[in-house]
Amino acid sequence: MSSNILRGEFVNLRPLQVDDAEMTFYWRKDDRAKFLNQGAASIDQQSKWISARPESEHNFIIELKSGLSVGMLSLISIDHANRHGEPGRFLIGNEDAVKGLPVAVEALKLLYELAFDQLELVRVCGIVAANNDLMIKWQKYMGMKEEGRFRNHLNQNGTFHDAIFLGLLVEEYRRITLPRMNFLITAARTKS
Amino acid sequence: MLNKDAIQSIIFRALESINDERKLEDQILISAETSLFGADAVLDSLSLVSVIVDVESALSDASGREISLTDDRAMSQSVSPFSDVSTLTKYISLLIAESA
Repeated sequence: MSSNILRGEFVNLRPLQVDDAEMTFYWRKDDRAKFLNQGAASIDQQSKWISARPESEHNFIIELKSGLSVGMLSLISIDHANRHGEPGRFLIGNEDAVKGLPVAVEALKLLYELAFDQLELVRVCGIVAANNDLMIKWQKYMGMKEEGRFRNHLNQNGTFHDAIFLGLLVEEYRRITLPRMNFLITAARTKS
Repeated sequence: MLNKDAIQSIIFRALESINDERKLEDQILISAETSLFGADAVLDSLSLVSVIVDVESALSDASGREISLTDDRAMSQSVSPFSDVSTLTKYISLLIAESA
């Protein structure tokens, strides 16, 4: 994996390491991770999975400025020729620690800065489980457009669910997403 | 025109929608004093966006006008409209009164 630390006002994104295997394994086991693909079956498998991440992927741990790890986020499937990539593996593992804070929004902002400003992608896209209402509402508010629907695409505990395919172009990011992200980050600053 | 109670009810419904997605032990206690976003608040940014989207949609349906809660004006308020339910209610009342 070929990433540096991405620094924000409330959070940093630091590269995922093998030492994160136990923490991320238990995050993936929690009910809140039910919308992600099935994860590793053991901490050892999770370590091996992290070790096997290719250089082309950017896998991050979301950290508060205190250093507390609270979640994970990745930019994968990067196609430099066609200049697109896929944000994914987005999970807040420590929900109590992020209340009142723009953790998810700033983490995604840092990832989009990597995608659009550093890597100069023109588009990011990916799927969200059709029954993940909160994430679909969030991604659409953040500028993503629905581009399609994959029927029975995801197996959640033995039940198949549709997936919604969402995409965001760089010009939509600059016009819609970035101002909304900045608003939410500003809203979290305490005013007296 | 929407009065304060009607606006507050719209915000309460948006918070109830968040509770529908949560386990019993994680339910938000909903009142005019419920802190929304910032220090000691109950919402993370995913939930705040859900509240914004639901409230904007309900206000649009009820008033017949598009109302944005996240424009430059909201950012310039001395107290964030998203501090708690009462500050958001007051801010929406102001927007509606000015657009009437």
